[in-house]
Amino acid sequence: MRIRSITGLWLGRMTKWVLWALGRKGTSLPGLVAARVAPRLLEELLNQLSTCVIVTGTNGKTTTTAFLYAFLNDGEAWLTNRGGANLQQGLLAALLAKSDWWGRLQVKKAVLEVDEATLPKVTAKFHPQAIVVTNVLRDQLDRYGEVDLALRMLSEGTRYAGTALITNADDPLAMSLGLGRPELTYYYGMTGVVDTTARRTDVRDGAFCLICGRELEYAYFIYGQIGAYRCPEGHFERPQPTFAGRWERAGRRLVVCEAEPNTAEEFTVESPVRGVFNQYNLLAAASAARVLGVSPKALRRRVQNFAPPTGRFQVFPGAPERVLVLIKNPTGANGVLRALEDDAAAKAVCFVINDDDADGRDVSWLWDINLEEFIPCSRAAEWLCGGTRGLDMALRLAYAGIERTQIRVLDKLAQVAEVSADGVETVYILSTYTALHPLSDLLKEVANRG
Amino acid sequence: MDRSLRFVHLFPELLNLYADHGNMAVLVGRARARGFAVETVAVRLGTELRIENADLVLLGGGSDREQVIVGKELTRYREDLLSAIDRGLPVLAVCGGYQLLGEYYELPNGERVPGLRVLEMTTRAGRNRLIGNVAIEWREGGERKTIIGFENHGGRTTHEYPPLGTVIKGFGNNGRDGKEGVLYKGIVGTYIHGPLLPKNPHVADRLIRAALRYRGQDDTLSALADDLEWRVHDAVLRQICGEK
Ligand SMILES: [Zn+2]
Repeated sequence: MRIRSITGLWLGRMTKWVLWALGRKGTSLPGLVAARVAPRLLEELLNQLSTCVIVTGTNGKTTTTAFLYAFLNDGEAWLTNRGGANLQQGLLAALLAKSDWWGRLQVKKAVLEVDEATLPKVTAKFHPQAIVVTNVLRDQLDRYGEVDLALRMLSEGTRYAGTALITNADDPLAMSLGLGRPELTYYYGMTGVVDTTARRTDVRDGAFCLICGRELEYAYFIYGQIGAYRCPEGHFERPQPTFAGRWERAGRRLVVCEAEPNTAEEFTVESPVRGVFNQYNLLAAASAARVLGVSPKALRRRVQNFAPPTGRFQVFPGAPERVLVLIKNPTGANGVLRALEDDAAAKAVCFVINDDDADGRDVSWLWDINLEEFIPCSRAAEWLCGGTRGLDMALRLAYAGIERTQIRVLDKLAQVAEVSADGVETVYILSTYTALHPLSDLLKEVANRG
Repeated sequence: MDRSLRFVHLFPELLNLYADHGNMAVLVGRARARGFAVETVAVRLGTELRIENADLVLLGGGSDREQVIVGKELTRYREDLLSAIDRGLPVLAVCGGYQLLGEYYELPNGERVPGLRVLEMTTRAGRNRLIGNVAIEWREGGERKTIIGFENHGGRTTHEYPPLGTVIKGFGNNGRDGKEGVLYKGIVGTYIHGPLLPKNPHVADRLIRAALRYRGQDDTLSALADDLEWRVHDAVLRQICGEK
């Protein structure tokens, strides 16, 4: 390793100590400091890995990474970037935490969550064994401009032919990454989970043929643009998945049918997560683990080690029970609302909307959440809003049909953490990114006070 | 008296990048609250646009790819649109839809996509995108009001018409001349989304009044209980003006 990289590494470590001494958790800052001094440090560390799987895509990266981390853990140490620090400095910080003073990695296997825009920068200098793509959806528009751009970056980042690509057969945009990539491309997809709550009016960004531009025809939708599609001109259609999942909602299991050239074998995993979008995360991780040689038996056992990340249906016991859920874009939010419909409990729904850079400063996406169809099936007795743009959300709810006098706007996050109402069993707190960790801490306090 | 209005949304399936259906919801909501029977028509790719059935037209923004498709489709209706606009047809054109009204707009690669040439206005590609919260001052009938929202555009638009407003915070048409949007006959063109109308109900009412005049009717509108709208407007305005 070059002197410059070692200097960067030392500075990074010192930053981490300073932060620790100040009592602050730093996920990205040590990496940022190190990267400033030593631009090649990241690739030098990554290239020491013997095995590396990267998870990318718009939604579900953190949950899929957590599943893969559980599935791949074979007793040897693995490293991962927990907490969603998925830009270059976050990756660097995760690697620095496991390296010695001379820049030698002490852990040789990694599961890393990588942001779509960061992926091509990482894979230009380093080729992982496998890349898992969750989906390609409309995200915070002020970050990348448009879905087309995110797709271009993913396509550039997954080009290297020696890397296995595990991508979503049911998402026309994610699927297109596998076109013209005959070797080492695997598709996963759902069969037999035609979700009856899928809405025809949901936002669908990829619902057009990438070749002729015509609107794709769908046999069924699962959520967003995800479903069974084909171009009316025949350019493009949902491929037969290598790993076909069937979600048994009532039994809380996922049955995976693996299509070998001549045979088809099935295995079942208990599903510890809610909502159809989360079953995709489980299926993506299980498929990638199978591609990397983990046996079905080990998958079934290791799924019990899965630790749900912060704010992914994180439950805080109490009366009422409070559940914290991340929302960051319309398709993700719609998926969360569908999962809420499955819960028959009398509930309060609280939206916490911030507009910092990490949340997306443009809040127009709130108007693409399909609240009009959620409200009649929500069984919600109370509607609340908070965050820096809580008032925007209140206005959105008013236009979706909630009486203006019925909407409570809360000024402080501490009030959000203590929301309760007569007859409400569960309070669902749907929060954007920057409010998520503060809320999780506040909710823990409230639950402990109990 | 005829108390009905017909609002036409052009290509909502393609031009939906910034939740422009929210603008339609506000127009419909505020017209119905005044007792008008409102009919909305979505003109999708492949269906016929009958401009004589429109009292107001909404044209949103899409990605470059989608805008090119819409531009081609609309060329067929240029003459119809032009004569209706001449007679005062109100048009709300946001972002990509706004650019489409001009002579041409330039893609980031330098290619010039011909516009509808409704307005003498051009849009050049800029090096970086102009992104962020925006607040402008709008004058109507001697009154000064603010319009707030979010802008995100690569194009720099220039024209000699009166603007929708002058920039208080943000970039506006091109980041240089301090103008935002355009006003021409019944047209309101702007880069401001968020969507535009929920937090700017005065702009929605201006469009509804223009639709009534276009139909040859009295354009008086009763006041509505919209304190929530103005609370959001004021809170966002304070936030924008407090930004560095
Ligand atoms: Zn096609």
